[in-house]
Amino acid sequence: MFKQIGIVGAGTLGRKIAQIAVLNNYKVLIYDVNESVLRRAKELIKSNLFKHLPDTKGIDEYTERISTRTYLSDLSVCDCIFEAVTEDLKIKKDLFKHLDANTKNTTILASTTPIFLITSIASLARNQERIIGLNFIDPVETNHIVEVVKGLRTNLDTINSATEFVKSLNKIPIFVKDSPGFIIGRISQVFINEALKLLNENVASFDQIDKIIKKIGCFPDGPFEYMDKKGIDSSLFFSQLIFEQSSYDYKFRPSLILKRMCEAGYFGVKSGKGFYDYIEQDSEEQNKNKPQSLNVSTK
Amino acid sequence: MKSSTGESKNIEHKIYITGDYPIVAEYAEMCADSGFKVFIPNYDTSDRKSHPKKRNIQTTNTIPASISIAIELTNIDLETKRSNLEKLDKKIPPEYPILSSSITVTATEQASWITNKYRLVGISALPTLVNKPLVEVAPTVYSPKETIKTVSKFFALLGKEIEIVQDRIGMVYPRVICRVINEAFCAITEDITKPEDLDTALKYGVNFPMGPLEWAEKIGFDQIIAVISALKNDISQEHYNISPLLKQMSLIRSNNKI
Repeated sequence: MFKQIGIVGAGTLGRKIAQIAVLNNYKVLIYDVNESVLRRAKELIKSNLFKHLPDTKGIDEYTERISTRTYLSDLSVCDCIFEAVTEDLKIKKDLFKHLDANTKNTTILASTTPIFLITSIASLARNQERIIGLNFIDPVETNHIVEVVKGLRTNLDTINSATEFVKSLNKIPIFVKDSPGFIIGRISQVFINEALKLLNENVASFDQIDKIIKKIGCFPDGPFEYMDKKGIDSSLFFSQLIFEQSSYDYKFRPSLILKRMCEAGYFGVKSGKGFYDYIEQDSEEQNKNKPQSLNVSTK
Repeated sequence: MKSSTGESKNIEHKIYITGDYPIVAEYAEMCADSGFKVFIPNYDTSDRKSHPKKRNIQTTNTIPASISIAIELTNIDLETKRSNLEKLDKKIPPEYPILSSSITVTATEQASWITNKYRLVGISALPTLVNKPLVEVAPTVYSPKETIKTVSKFFALLGKEIEIVQDRIGMVYPRVICRVINEAFCAITEDITKPEDLDTALKYGVNFPMGPLEWAEKIGFDQIIAVISALKNDISQEHYNISPLLKQMSLIRSNNKI
């Protein structure tokens, strides 16, 4: 079992993984290039723990398990290092090449990407056997699912150690093949694309489609509400990457509707306008935590 | 409902429901629970569940003449659907509406099969939808407003609101859910993950109310194939290719019935 976890990237995902790791008794080293980002990350983790824990007495004990670093080589002591950097394939490939060259052979290297192929991310590393994908599904703090992605050269020991770690966080590992969108992204993409096709063909309006999907299908969010919350730009980015990675399989073709909206600056909740108008725009964090509190009106 | 002579008529409480068995049984029970007297055809029950057993559901070999609303729920065999609609149109007085599932053939095309075209309105009918609070309704190019009002009133009596959508194959919900299920079967065919893991991932990962494979079992493989095939014929795009595994499952299921 791992003793020391490393996290590269102190953004939202990196913070959330750190939070659940310390709550499950792991020591965490977070790396980021920017010291002020690291300070802010630690503050945010602490304030999140205050919000989520019934008993706030032990919070210092949890936060003491988190250390921050601005030198990547300091993470060489870790048993498992998570990559939680921006979704840019080149950055990820270079990072894994560096981590592979500067860590002990037994260290597990995990990418949290929901979209890039693990085999591709690992392609510049010499020891690709220890590189794996662990896709934590948002909201990471409460969602029970982690997709465990085996690259073409990931070995069984890496899979077993990573699986044990996922289970120790009280999460359910879902073993998926290294393929475009893995399983959750792939099915969700088809769900969204079909809704966009319906809109494009004028079968129904976006708010009608949302209403029908929620009332008949019992989905918590309609596809257009979902895209607004996720970000129209993120939805388009994800859609374009799945399309490319699937060798341009027509069923994943990105919708022109998303492209037009991005060009117009309609990015969803975060920009105050997406498919819906958001009269009182909450901060991104608040919206993620309280999706039901969105003040929504139709265009 | 406006008759050919322009008169309006209130809904009376006798309904004839025909079409694909599981949906007919679901609709019959729902209408019976809402106080309607329901007539359904005598199905061969040897390979199916038994007929719904409620006091106000009656099986019959002929369409009763006193019916005030007819519901046709065939999605799979469109020749049978056409024959059913032609019979209903001849037998039922022209001032009464015919609601017909229009997820595998448009309501407008169905209306073109009958003489009293104005009386037919499309609805989205697929197994498992009957207890939902909303039903999609697709008027045809022949539908007068009065017909839609009658349909709305009828569904209100069943405790449902209606949502008017364009008359297109698959309508909204059946099209989306059948596409999702077909894609799930494609992923299983490609060995992306195990079936039980796929359902767990979608249910607990992104709050699907049911796993797609579990959903397919409940809706029926043949119904899903009928919707996807109709979409493929209508839209002619390769992303409506039916998963080979889904076809196999449908064959296995139909062989088990024999």
